[in-house]
Amino acid sequence: MDVISCERLTKRFGVTVAVSELDLDVSAGQIYGFLGPNGAGKTTTIRMLLGLIAPTEGQIRLLGRPLPDPRAVAQTGSMIEEPAFYPWLTGRQNLQVLAAEGGGCAASEFGRVLEGSGLSDVAGRKVRAYSQGMRQRLGLAAAMLGRPPLLIIDEPTNGLDPAGIREIRGLLRDLAADGTTVFMSSHLLAEVEQVCDRVAVIVRGRVVEEGAPAGLGAIRRRIRVQVDAADIEAAGRLLARWQSRQLDGTFLVEHDSGRDVNAALAAGGVIADSVAAELPRLEDRFLEIVKEEDAHAVAAGG
Amino acid sequence: MLWLLAAEFRKLVRPLVWGTALVMVAFCLLITWAAAHNARAGLASPRIPDICAKAATAQCGQVIAHAHGAARAAAAATGQLAQPGEVGHVAAGMLASLPGLLLIAMIAGGHWGGEWGSRTIRQLLCREGRRGRVLVAKWLSIWVAGVATLLACWLVLALAAPGVAAASGLPAVHSALWAGLGSSASSAGRAVVVLGMFAAVGTAAGTIGRGQLATTAVTAGSMLLALLVAGIASIGQLSPASFVQGWMGFEPAGYLPTNFWSRFVSGGHVGQLAGLAGVLVTAAVAAAIARWRFATDVTA
Repeated sequence: MDVISCERLTKRFGVTVAVSELDLDVSAGQIYGFLGPNGAGKTTTIRMLLGLIAPTEGQIRLLGRPLPDPRAVAQTGSMIEEPAFYPWLTGRQNLQVLAAEGGGCAASEFGRVLEGSGLSDVAGRKVRAYSQGMRQRLGLAAAMLGRPPLLIIDEPTNGLDPAGIREIRGLLRDLAADGTTVFMSSHLLAEVEQVCDRVAVIVRGRVVEEGAPAGLGAIRRRIRVQVDAADIEAAGRLLARWQSRQLDGTFLVEHDSGRDVNAALAAGGVIADSVAAELPRLEDRFLEIVKEEDAHAVAAGG
Repeated sequence: MLWLLAAEFRKLVRPLVWGTALVMVAFCLLITWAAAHNARAGLASPRIPDICAKAATAQCGQVIAHAHGAARAAAAATGQLAQPGEVGHVAAGMLASLPGLLLIAMIAGGHWGGEWGSRTIRQLLCREGRRGRVLVAKWLSIWVAGVATLLACWLVLALAAPGVAAASGLPAVHSALWAGLGSSASSAGRAVVVLGMFAAVGTAAGTIGRGQLATTAVTAGSMLLALLVAGIASIGQLSPASFVQGWMGFEPAGYLPTNFWSRFVSGGHVGQLAGLAGVLVTAAVAAAIARWRFATDVTA
């Protein structure tokens, strides 16, 4: 079952198109990463998913209900951008207020989410004295209140130290293991790569790639070849059948077989110093996608 | 809805609200103390025209006697108004006039406009997407804060005002402590309605201002504008300020003022029922504006 389903979702602010005909399907129990450069339309999409703004066109189904439906949004745990709280209240009191705004929850929930987010020791402290990382944790705790089946969170590891990031990663995995669907946007692509089951890349309001992080779009293994300086010219000629880049005697060949590349070099009389297959990281692929889209936009006059 | 209201009341427990309410109570006490002091001074030296101060004519004798009588009457009236039963008029009048308007403007600014300032409005709307309920909860909580301040003012004045009057040397009052309670309660009841209207204006102002200072300014500014309009003879009767005047029936103040409103309203008389209708229509218009403004994207 799709927990989030968007069909031709479009949002225009005057003449500016923030999100354009976006289709998105997120299945139950997935951790879904939503990636994009600044201004790509991530937060606008999240605000539409949470009913904060209405789409100009298109449809959203959240937890099986077509939006706008406050009941679907109320069942969704959320954290948008930098979480905000009432500074004159303690962490626990803030959670109590947020729970009451959503219709209340069992008293034991506060202890559970405070424990889960590592804030039990400071729950009685006024939020104005919290660090950014503590506020971030409190935001996650608030999102988890009442065990919602769907979490929509924006930059969950923002402001956390490496240990905190690792804890949150574990927390998200535990939530997914319990059947909670997590839809998260993030700039920390290494985190997304480690945590998410699927990712979508949004550029200029459009989803340009979607899939499992390891097989995102056109990601293929590529071959890194090092040759002697005297062989660079010959190697370039021999590897011309594939798309490749060369820098200081190192060729990056867009092909998935090291054997083929090595054979081509050997047939031309070039002995490589090393031939190694490598899988580009999500970060590399993400930057490539954004670069390609920007190039297309420039070519199209946009 | 009850959960949402509970959350709103919990958020009201903050220094800004307590501080504003305390200032209001202190202001009522200060006004009472100043009035008692002035009444005592008036009793000691009544206002006698200069021409009669040194003349010993029979006509001046009458004028001087009249001045002494007026000073005694004013001091007695002040002493009577400072009794626990009667002093409710002061609390009600203050809350239903400019001081009450400023109190509501401050509370609306912090409690409602502050949701934008602290960016908690998004969390609130993600928790409760039914925006009509959010508006009602905000309006009710602001209103209740105003009513609670009215009761606190009355209570403090009831406890302190008789002592203030006695310490100032005003003539002893021989009526029962709770004389005039019914009339005061009626005045307080009318003030509760006016506070409801002020709260509705504050709620609408929050959706317009979307920030603490802006909400306070729009709430206070809109009603101050209404007061200015109420002073214009040709259209004054149509001003919400005239409706408040008509409904509350504010009278010219003695030493102890029972309002800060009537002196600004001179645009024509509005009856009590017409005043009530006007107050309710003003509140309804404010609610409609709030509803319309809040239906758009309010989280940008």
